[in-house]
This record gives sequence, structure tokens and C-alpha cells, in this order.
Amino acid sequence: MAASQSGLAGGLAAGLAVRASASLETVQEALGALVARYRADEVLTAVRHIPAREAQFRAMPAWVRPELAAAYHAKGIEELYTHQAAAAELAHAGKNFVVVTPTASGKTLCYNLPVLNAVLGNADTRALYLFPTKALAQDQLAELHDLAKRLDDCFGVFTYDGDTPSDARRAIRERGHVILTNPDMLHTGILPHHTKWTRVFENLRYVVLDELHTYRGVFGSHLANVLRRLARIAEFYGSKPQFICCSATIANPGELAAQLIAEPVHVVEENGAPAAEKLFVFYNPPMVNRNLGIRRSYLNETTRVAKELLARKLQTIVFANSRLHTEVLLTYLQQANRPGPGEAELVRGYRGGYLPGERREIERGLRDGRIRGVVATSALELGIDIGSLDASVMAGYAGSIASTWQRAGRAGRRSGTSCAVMVASSAPLDQFIVQHPDYFFGRSPEHAYVQPDNLEILVNHLKCAAFELPLAGEERFGDVDLPGLCERMGEAGFLHRSGGNWHWVQEAYPADTVSLRSVTSDNFVIIDTTGGTKGGEDGEPEVIGEVDFSSALTTVHPKAIYLHQGQQYHVERLDFEQRKAYVKSVNVDYYTDAIRYTQVRVLEIAEEEQIAGPAARAHGDVLVRSQVVGFKKIKFFTNDNIGAGKLDLPENEMHTTAFWITLERKLLAELPYALSDRQNGILGLLYAMASMATLLLMCDGRDLGTAVCERPASPGVETEWQQFPAALNDPAEMKEFFEPNLYLYDAYPGGIGFSQPLFRVHDILLRRTRELILGCPCEQGCPSCVGPAGEKCEKTKEAALAILQRLCV
Amino acid sequence: MTVRDRLASLASLQPPRKPRVAMESGANRARGFSPALPAGAERLAEMLQAKSLRNLYGEHLSVRKWFSEAIGCEPPEGLVSPEALRLLAPGACAEVSDPRQWLFLDTETTGLMGGTGTYPFMVGIAWWDAGGLEVEQFFMRELSEEHALLLTLAERMAERPVLVTFNGKSFDWPLLETRYRMTRKIRAAAPRAHLDFLHPARNLWRVRLGSVRLAELEKHVLGWNRGADLISEMIPQVYFDYLRGGPPEPLLQVFLHNQMDLRGLAGLASRILALLADPQTDGKDGLELYGVSRICERRGDMARARKHYAQSLDAVLPTETDRAARRSLARLAKRAGDLSLALKLWESILGVSREGLEAYQQLAIHYERQTREPQRAALLIRKALAELRPANRNAGLSAALLRRYRSDFERRLQRLDRRALVTGRTAGTLLDRINPESRARD
Repeated sequence: MAASQSGLAGGLAAGLAVRASASLETVQEALGALVARYRADEVLTAVRHIPAREAQFRAMPAWVRPELAAAYHAKGIEELYTHQAAAAELAHAGKNFVVVTPTASGKTLCYNLPVLNAVLGNADTRALYLFPTKALAQDQLAELHDLAKRLDDCFGVFTYDGDTPSDARRAIRERGHVILTNPDMLHTGILPHHTKWTRVFENLRYVVLDELHTYRGVFGSHLANVLRRLARIAEFYGSKPQFICCSATIANPGELAAQLIAEPVHVVEENGAPAAEKLFVFYNPPMVNRNLGIRRSYLNETTRVAKELLARKLQTIVFANSRLHTEVLLTYLQQANRPGPGEAELVRGYRGGYLPGERREIERGLRDGRIRGVVATSALELGIDIGSLDASVMAGYAGSIASTWQRAGRAGRRSGTSCAVMVASSAPLDQFIVQHPDYFFGRSPEHAYVQPDNLEILVNHLKCAAFELPLAGEERFGDVDLPGLCERMGEAGFLHRSGGNWHWVQEAYPADTVSLRSVTSDNFVIIDTTGGTKGGEDGEPEVIGEVDFSSALTTVHPKAIYLHQGQQYHVERLDFEQRKAYVKSVNVDYYTDAIRYTQVRVLEIAEEEQIAGPAARAHGDVLVRSQVVGFKKIKFFTNDNIGAGKLDLPENEMHTTAFWITLERKLLAELPYALSDRQNGILGLLYAMASMATLLLMCDGRDLGTAVCERPASPGVETEWQQFPAALNDPAEMKEFFEPNLYLYDAYPGGIGFSQPLFRVHDILLRRTRELILGCPCEQGCPSCVGPAGEKCEKTKEAALAILQRLCV
Repeated sequence: MTVRDRLASLASLQPPRKPRVAMESGANRARGFSPALPAGAERLAEMLQAKSLRNLYGEHLSVRKWFSEAIGCEPPEGLVSPEALRLLAPGACAEVSDPRQWLFLDTETTGLMGGTGTYPFMVGIAWWDAGGLEVEQFFMRELSEEHALLLTLAERMAERPVLVTFNGKSFDWPLLETRYRMTRKIRAAAPRAHLDFLHPARNLWRVRLGSVRLAELEKHVLGWNRGADLISEMIPQVYFDYLRGGPPEPLLQVFLHNQMDLRGLAGLASRILALLADPQTDGKDGLELYGVSRICERRGDMARARKHYAQSLDAVLPTETDRAARRSLARLAKRAGDLSLALKLWESILGVSREGLEAYQQLAIHYERQTREPQRAALLIRKALAELRPANRNAGLSAALLRRYRSDFERRLQRLDRRALVTGRTAGTLLDRINPESRARD
């Protein structure tokens, strides 16, 4: 990747020298307007020009059936890119493989060519395509229908998901050669009813897993178990499918694929596809207070960037990292881009929770250019067809390099020049990335982790497996003691042993209670009870969206301001039992942010070791109890805290795994700081450590929870457990810690496998954390290192460093 | 913490509920009837005087009992009325008309959701024999006896090729098909015809009874009270408790329940067939007549449907059903060209109800297109719109339906007014006389 580094002048000049296209000039103009008031090299920490790249071709393999080759020929494809050819050969040789490809490199051909070739050769052949979302499956359907039409419709292609009408399902099961579905449907709709799919399973030759890199963490660990169940059922019907996977660029695609499908996997990594030129810019919002390390709000700066691009008629997608931010940005941008009277909005929002019809309409609007800008969550990151946009602006780092490239790829997918701008927030991860561009632009360091043998997940899938087919005593299911587990599940009343097999003996339908994506499958629906404002006379309550269980408590708690399509709604009532939130449309100048308290109890220590300090490190099983106890009201634009409220919501309990460091009494006693400074230092240290941990583990910040609690006398003892401590973010109210445990816990029941790696690399973790804090230009601590500095927090940074000093000897 | 404790703390392993029946003491188990069977299996067989049937795939229990009557009806004599069969199973094979070829079937299962993990632990079948009803119940003493049971069932079904069920089309039979497929070796005996009485029963009695559970139908339609009966939701748990070594006594209730379901089904089948053959013979129950008309209409026998709708209107009907019958009869009359009857019926049900709004619409169409009286149509629509004002909305209709009608009426009215205006300009001020405001509004 040729890149001319840094500085507005240097970067843009080099960019322009390659090819002075109109849109590149426009982008330059927009960037120039943005940095006019600042020192360009401080704000634009990287301006990389990624030149266009030529395609590398190979001939169409000789074994491709002439009618299929002709169909591709008619679409303008006469030769294959090198990676497509390599994939085709592996497929032809019957190997499992994963193709690693950037956006728009013709990856669908990597599976469609071998699969359709097999179907054309034997009309009994069946293939199952799995996409992480329904929308992606819909998108692939168009391409396959086009091929089917060119081949006289001699094979059937259907999507099979929750939206498939029930009267069409039987026909799809009988006539579909290629079934496009998603892991959730396979899990709840197909496997538990496999007898209806006899024909598919008897002839199942290919399973395609697209967007493989999305199957990591919880989702990936679930999928690995769903695939174990799929393999059992296929074997029951006498088939053993071959796996074809596609992934965005990550460091360990082969390892991930092998873990998911439990088979050896070949990796195809060279990329023969051409690429259009692109300008990739890192934008670090300017400092407003150097002492406190405070930068201008990245949301406001993102708005400015997007406004400049939109003003120059560049069709722009803006990515935000949360639903809340999507709506905040949407509000800002809609205000700045008012449509003419009677015209539709030029800028729209797009995220989970919008209803399908609304989404399709927005996708269409983007393709035909009526919609000039869209503010989206990761929902639009993957390959949903919204056509080629001119610019992609990211409000904050997407959390992983793979996601960032995919978001950037939404602009300029096919040809022409495009630009991508990443606006850094003051989060440590963002600051690390924009200040170390080579980390980002170099070879991907990101590993995707899954933990298929997470007992909580595995046992849930074992129940589903037993429902689908009695478990035989000698069977294997992951790397666990299956007979022992079955015995235990028998005692708990789920299984019953008969004739050497374990049978499911519950009325419940186990797949229904297991969600592949979150802790529970419960969703809260949002009901608008405003009435009268829109629907004329009959303002009857209307469902406007839904939120999943885990975010419900923080987004639709009573008195919260819930944002939907830029409209604010006040939550009047949360019906916890019925999973309903009743809201009324309002117009206020603030949004709300929930306050959550967390308490951790150690259940069992797996490993523990004394380290310098004096301190100890350990990992093991913990019980995490958390509760949303209140909320803050935050004013738009200024982000001032303008009020707060208390909430009485049920608490959540979770059994998971954690890594923790215990600071011993002696260490703390030796620190030359007042009590409150010590406490601040501990919290600041944990804040910085959590950021570096997500970087090392390549996981999402939400996958790791943090908490500080007094070290228990021994595991399981009820120390400091009866009461939640006062607000952790207000150390003044905090009880003094004598020997605190600093916890980093897996934010998923049963753990997703982060605790042991953290235990192993703890010295790197501590060293990196120290580098992060030392390298930060702020004086007393800032959101980019030890967390935001409040009043009476002058010594936070100093105290955190003093503790680290003792731990890192 | 041991692995066992870890497992014990897993949320996914928390028992969903405590078994209701306490475990039997080990003494029962030690008697050694067969180590592979639950403790209560032997006593169950004794109490039921059941015998164990053996075949290629093993053993299972079978209980046989002959009843001199089904519930509330005599065994049928001769062939079933072709009139009734045409309504019930149009185009079915010849065997259907011979009740001796029928096999009644009802299963008791470990769950109601279906899917591959639901077991039909009891399959009851019944057939007319020797002037009465022979009931045979197959039972899996263990889940491992399933294949043997399925094989016996396939043999019995081959002897009587017409399957007769209550909700078996969507539940029992698909479930059994799944079970046969799961064996990968035993072929299901494909029935030559399948008569299911759930839908006819719904058409005939749901309005009157609210629910069409078999026990309700027996009581109110066949005049027979089951007495103490098991709540069917409890059946899976009773079986699970037995499998885990609990006492077998509670299962007796399940056998009895299944028996009564089969006898009730046989009685109901006769009753429904008689009704469909000639509803007049059963006195003047308006609701039943209405139900028969609906079945006739659905099967395309419009002449019979009209006749029975008219008869049901002569009998006593609850207000809502009366309105529905009038609406259906009006539709059929319109289709048959009997416009004066249709108009009369529509006029009689105008109002804010599903049928009443449709009547407004139909009448407006009639006046606009047939008699070419736009003013009259407009007048009617105005009245309808006035009725649709929110203050008057109390008919429990969905908002979407009301919205649809309102916008339909508004569009219609605009068109009618435009046309009336044109007519009005040439033909004087007719419109003013009908509705003075509408002019002022333009």
C-alpha cells in the first residue's frame, strides 16, 4: 500500500499528483475548509492516498461447465481474478477454505461458481448459504437470480428466514438448490425441523459462510455450536458438506474458520481484484484545553466534516458507534440540511430497530440518489447494496481495523475516487489509532477469538442437539466430557437416558430460549402513545421500534429520552414484565445517559500469582451484579450535565470469568497521596487498562466490563456485597479500599475466553497501559488516558502512574 | 470449586421446574421387572391389563377395549351421505364413504410445539367394530420403544386407510410423519384419505361455545359430560414423572383422557356428518345452520349456502352473527343477480361494523354504477362518514380497517361530488337542495 504520509500539504499534494479528479479536488477543498482555523498537521494526523490497483487475471478453469462460463461471460466476466481462481480450484478439489477479501473484490463468485457448477452437473446437489443478517441474504439473492435467469432457471434459489411466508416454505424446502439464510434461522427454524428438510440434508454438499469475521466473540461461539449441530444432522442423513468461507481482512482467518467448522481449512489471501483510488484521512479534533486534554466534541466535528462534504454535493455515509450517537448526529445533520418545503428529508438515519419497510425505502433512496446522506450504525457496514457513495465519515473508531476498512469501503465501491474520514473520539483506543497510523495501515494485527466450549453456550446448544436427535453415548460435541454433561442434564430434568441414548424430555422448545446474539432473546417494543400529532384523528398507539434486553435498561428506562429517526421521545412508562416501553413524542434540548453500578464477587480462583507491587494477579469465575440506578440529562451541543434522576430498576446477575489485579495494603499505604487521590488513581488505572485490553484482545469495548471491589477474605464470602457502593464515578462518596481488586470481566454469562489470555499477557498489558498514560499530552488526566478529570482530580494521572511504577518493576 | 459445582451454577442447567411427583423408593426399582424400563412400568401394565406387543424393533404396550357406543351417537349404518362428504372432503377416494374403513387417531405427546424432539408417547386408535367402537392404545414404556410402536401403528393403519382426526391435519399426523422419518427405516402407512373435524367444528360451534375443545363439544353438542378429566397441558409432565421413576397411577388418567378423546371424536364425526347431510333434521338451531352455510360457501356450493343462510336468518341468531349472515347472503344474492334481496339486506345492516361499512360501500357502488344516482350515493357516503366520526367509534374495529374505509369513502365522495357538480351545472341546483354545505366548501 503506497502511502504518502502526513501533513495536509504533503498528503493532499501527493494525492492530487496521482490523479486530479474532480471529486478529489472537491475533497481537498472540503478538508481545506475544515482545517482552516487549525494547524493542519495536528488535526489531520494521517492523509493516505491509496492508489488505484490493476487487476490480476487467470483463465476460467477448464472444468467449469460451458453454460455456466457462458452465463458469466454474458455478465462481462471472461477471466477470474487470481484469488477467485485459487478459490475455484480448492472448491473443485473438495477442500474447506476461507477467502480473505476486501470490499468489492468479487467474492461472491468464489462460492457461486463452484456451487452452481456442481448443481448444473447434478440437479440433486444442495447448498446452504449463511449470512450474518437477513438483509445480506436478500442482497445476494439478486445476483443469484440474475445468474439463474441466464441459465434458463434450471436451479432454484430462495431466501429462507423469518420473513419467508409460511405458504412458500414447503416449496422452498423441496425446490431450492441454494438456500440463503442466517445462523439464527438455521438454529431455530431449520435444524429443529430437519425432517422437513430431508431432501436438503441428504444432498447437502456445500455450506457457505460469508462475512466470517463477524462470527467472533459471543456470536461466533454460538455459531460454532450451531455448526456442530448441523454436522450431526448432516451425518444422520449421510452427508458431509464442504465449507466455503469469506472474510474481511483479519490476522487469523484460517484459525477462526477452523475453530468454527472444526475441520482443517485452507486460506486464500492474495487479492487479484482491482481497486479504485481512495483518500483515507484521520481527523483528530483540535484541543480546546491542553491542560485537561480536552478536545472538541468528536460528534460536533463529525457533523462539521459531513456538512462540508454534503455541501459539496458528495453523497455521504456517516457511521456512529451507537444508536444514541446515530440519532444525535442525525439531528444535527437534518438541521443543517433542511429539505425544501414539502420535500422528503435529504439526510436519513439507518440502524437496527427501524422497521424493515423503512430500511428498504432508505436503501432505495441511497441507490437512486434522492437521499444525499445517511447516518448509520454498523447495520450498514456489511454488504447491503446502497450503491456507491462518495464519502464515508466515521464518528469514532469502529472498534476494529476490519470494521473500519469495511465502513470506508462503503464509499467508492466500484470505481472513481472516494474518501474516508475517521474522526477520533477522545477514547484511548481512538487516540492510540490516530496517533499510530502505521498500526492501522500496516498488516492487520487483529485476531478474532471464539470460545465454542464456553459451557453456558455449549450446554444450551447441547439441549437443542438432543431435541434434534437423541445424543448417543459415544458421540462427541466439542471438547467436553459429554457423558458427564448428559448425566448432569439428566439430573436437572432436561434429558432422559433410554436404550443407550439421551433423549430430550421437556415440553419447551430449547432453540426458542437461546438467542445467538445476546444474553436473552427478549426484546422490548417501543410504543408511541403520543396520538393526534401525525395520524389525524385516530392517534392510536403505534409500535415504532424495538431494543434488545441488554440495552433496554439503559435506553428506555423511565424518563429517558429515546431517539428514533431524529425524533425525541420521552419514556413515560417501562413495563418490565410485558417488555414494553410507552413513549411520547417531545421536543427538548437534551438527551439522557444512564448510570450503572456494578459489583463483583469471586466464586473460584483458577490461577493466582504474586507479582511486584506488592500485588497479585488472578483469573477465575465471578458473579457480576449490576443495576441501572439513575440517569443524567445532557444538553445537546454543549454536552453540559443539566440534571439527573434516580431509577428503581431490577438488577442483573451474571456468572462469568474475570481477570483481576489485587493491590495489596502495603502498596497503597506507601503511596504519597491523599485517600481521594489514591482512589482516583485506582479508577484511572483501571480505565486505561481496560482500553489497552480491548486492543490486545481485538474485542469490542462492550465485551469487557470493569469494576473495583474490596478483595474478599476468601472466594464466595459476602464482603461488601450487601449494598451497592456509592457512585463509582464520584470517589468522594466511595468507601476507602484497603486491598482492592481491579476486575476486567467478560461481559457475557460464562465468559468468552478473554480472562486467561489477559492473565497470560498481564506484563504486556501493564507496560502498554503505562506507555499510554505516559505518552498522553494532558497534564492531570484526560478521557484519552485515565479518564475524564473532574474537580479535585488533579493527581489522578500521577497516582495511576505511581501504582503502575510499582507493578511494572 | 469442582467441575460439578461449576455445572450446577450454570444458568442453562437450572431445572426449569421441580418434578411434581416424588421419586419412588428404591424398592420398586429393585423388583427387577426389566432394568431398562422405568420403575412403574410393570404396575402400569397390570392395572391396565395391557399386553406387551413384540415386533422386529422391540416391544411396547397395547391396551384394547370395546365400547358399545361412541359418545352421544350410535355406530353408523351403511354408507355416509355423499352430500356431507362433498362438503367435508371433496374429491376424496371412494373408501371415505365407508365408515368401516375409518381409523380414528389421537396422540398424547411430550410437547405441543412439534419439531423433532417431541415424542408421541401414546397413540390411540379406534374403529367401528361389531356394532360398537374398538379402542386400542399404544404406549411407550420407555422412549426406546418408539420404533416398535411406530411399526405396529403402520400395520394397523394399513388395514383401515381412512384417517379420521380432530386437529390431526396440523398436529398429530405431521408429528407422526416426523417420527417415521426420524427412524430412517420404518415407512409410514400413507392414508388414502384424511378427514379432520376441527375446522367443521369451528364453523359450526365456535360462535356458540367460544372454544372448540373436544370436551366442550361433547358436553354441549353431544350432551355427554366427561366428569373429572386431566388438564391436557399437564400430560407431558405426567409422562416425564413416570419416566423418572415416579408412580404409574397418574398415567391412568392419560389413558382415560385419550380414550375419551377417541370416543368423543367418533361421536362428533357422526354428528357433523349428519348435520352436513341435512341440517333441517336437527331442529332450528340458527348458529348451526349458519355454520353449515359457511362450509357450503367455502366449498363452492352457493345454492345450498344461500338456502341455509336464509334458514339461519329465520331462526334466532345473536346480533353479530345475524349481521354476518345478512352480509354473506347479500353477497351471494348479488352474485346470483337477486339485487332486490341484496339491497334489502344491506339496508338492514348499515352501521359502524365490519359488515355495516361494507354494506355502505356496496350500496354506494350500486347507486353510482347501476342506477346512476350519484347524489343518492353521495348522501349515503356522507352518512357513513358521519358515523365514522371518532366519537361514534365503539364497534371494536381495528384502526387500520376504519382508516381504510374512511379514505375509501372520502375518495368516493370527492368523485361523486365532482360528478354531481357537473350534473348540477346542467341540471340546475339539485346538489344544493340535497346538501347545501357541499357547494360552499368548493
